[in-house]
Amino acid sequence: MENISYNEVNEDVVRTMTHTTWKYWVALVTCAVMATVLWGGAWAYQIYVGQGVTGLNTPTFWGIYLANFVFWIGISHSGTLLSAILFITATPWRRSIYRSAEAITFFSVLTAALFIFVHMGRPWNFYWTMPYPTTRQLWVNFTSPIMFDVFAISTYMTSSVIFLYFGSIPDLAAVRDRVTGWRKPIYTYLALGWRGTEAEWHWLSKSYTFFAVFIIPLAVSVHSIVSWDFALSMVPGLNKTIFAPYFVVGAIFSGTAAIVTLMVILRKSLKFEKYITMMHFDKLCLLLLVMSLLWSYINVVEVFSDWYANTSVENETLRYRMFMPPHSYMYWLMIITNSIMPLLFIFKKLRTSIFVCVVVSIGINVGMWIERYLIVATTLPRKYLPNMWHGYTPSLIEISITVGSFFFFAMLFLIFVKVWPSVSIYEVKEDIGIPMRKGFKRH
Amino acid sequence: MNQPVLGLFKYVDSMVEAAVMLKDTGYTVTVFSPIPLGAELDPIIVRKNYIKYFSLIGGIIGLLFGIILTLGTAAMYVLPRGGLPLWPATPTLLLTYESTILVGVIFTLMGFFVIARLPYYGKKRFYTPKVALDSFGLLVEDIQEDKIEEVEKLLHDYGANEVNRVEQP
Repeated sequence: MENISYNEVNEDVVRTMTHTTWKYWVALVTCAVMATVLWGGAWAYQIYVGQGVTGLNTPTFWGIYLANFVFWIGISHSGTLLSAILFITATPWRRSIYRSAEAITFFSVLTAALFIFVHMGRPWNFYWTMPYPTTRQLWVNFTSPIMFDVFAISTYMTSSVIFLYFGSIPDLAAVRDRVTGWRKPIYTYLALGWRGTEAEWHWLSKSYTFFAVFIIPLAVSVHSIVSWDFALSMVPGLNKTIFAPYFVVGAIFSGTAAIVTLMVILRKSLKFEKYITMMHFDKLCLLLLVMSLLWSYINVVEVFSDWYANTSVENETLRYRMFMPPHSYMYWLMIITNSIMPLLFIFKKLRTSIFVCVVVSIGINVGMWIERYLIVATTLPRKYLPNMWHGYTPSLIEISITVGSFFFFAMLFLIFVKVWPSVSIYEVKEDIGIPMRKGFKRH
Repeated sequence: MNQPVLGLFKYVDSMVEAAVMLKDTGYTVTVFSPIPLGAELDPIIVRKNYIKYFSLIGGIIGLLFGIILTLGTAAMYVLPRGGLPLWPATPTLLLTYESTILVGVIFTLMGFFVIARLPYYGKKRFYTPKVALDSFGLLVEDIQEDKIEEVEKLLHDYGANEVNRVEQP
């Protein structure tokens, strides 16, 4: 990055926030309308008519909404966790991509949390999960894994927002200095009076390190706790000790794939080729390859241990998932997208091909969504008593809300790139190096 | 108080040399930069890390909060469940883990605000937007009236691109 000047970095990043093309507005309005209609409209109808409009019925009381919840929580592991790990390990290639990745975390946790409200049926009763003594003198039941979720996700969302905002303070100050009009007071307020003194940098750096240290075990615990929503039940196919690492690995896998897809879009649309280089895709794809191998290993372990145990209930769950259409089609598609396609990243030439990166990363997230769907849709309909077996097919309302969530997420991300510096200005400058009389010095 | 002087440098090593010299002479110097300079500023100042105390206190408060919330409420509002303990270990550990992290993060943030004295929206602190771009600023204070020109010359000699007298905020 030696050919880029400090001034150029400020100009490039602020330009993305102040100069808007018609294409951006078309994309934003499309996402907003689709999110409102597909998600908002369908949800309003569901609230008005009742949960009967979904495909949920005895014995399947958890459906696509919870699959979506797990999927979006998984996507959230892209940003904050990855950013924190790469920060602690002082990995320089983190600098250009971490800001947007952290934003992905916040928006996906938000989307995931909304799915809990959708799933609740009566969202206005959400306060029942809050720990306060009601007039009945009865507190929430902390022994329920659902309550673990409430605490874990609230903590994760709060910490992720703090992590994102805190790391952005110097950049918000840089934006404050360059914008005019209505933006000026907003960024003045957000920049908190940052001046860039040695003392401010020192305390920012120390605090940021502590945030990263807190965030890493938190992120691991969040997806472990999400896995325990399922694994602490006595349902065949769900009651597995391997679920926590399986979910954490899957989350990092899908989250990293989401980063790759969004970085390609960000790079092209905001003309960030100078900052998000092929080296970034090379490193991210290597990480995808490693996560794919880990994910495949856990899948094999899960299947083989059930196969070896040879109990009728576990055999039925496996048979229902792997060999009975339509779930079998989804299962084998998942294996292709998550275990086979990422093997292309063994070759450096393919790791640095934008086309391959996009195809494989989207494929991984399709596969990861299928994985979460199959966990729900192939276990609850096949519990212990065959006379209670009943298939689950999502209704149009559920599908509409699912599709709407992707537009909702895209809308939030589009708003983000306009109101927030999507690439870290000061850390990209660190990448360029510290100017010395004899040239740039890099850490 | 006398008028402070600001020198804007292109190179960090030039600025650090000037800062060391001026500090040794007895002036108060403040460094402004568009990036964290870390160890480059060790010759000028080495700071202790006080943030860790905030993180530690936050973590301990969070830990106690988690324990009190889960065990305390179970004791205050007894909900008998056949065969299950009144004080369950698993949820207590989990919720305590989460609350330790949550309160630790919040206290770390508060610690930053307290120590860095932010947010500040007044106009009594000096600032120039050039230091958020590509210049490294050295603000020299506590200069006697007859020494201002000497400091300005010194800043120029050490390689400052721009030297300005700064109005007292």
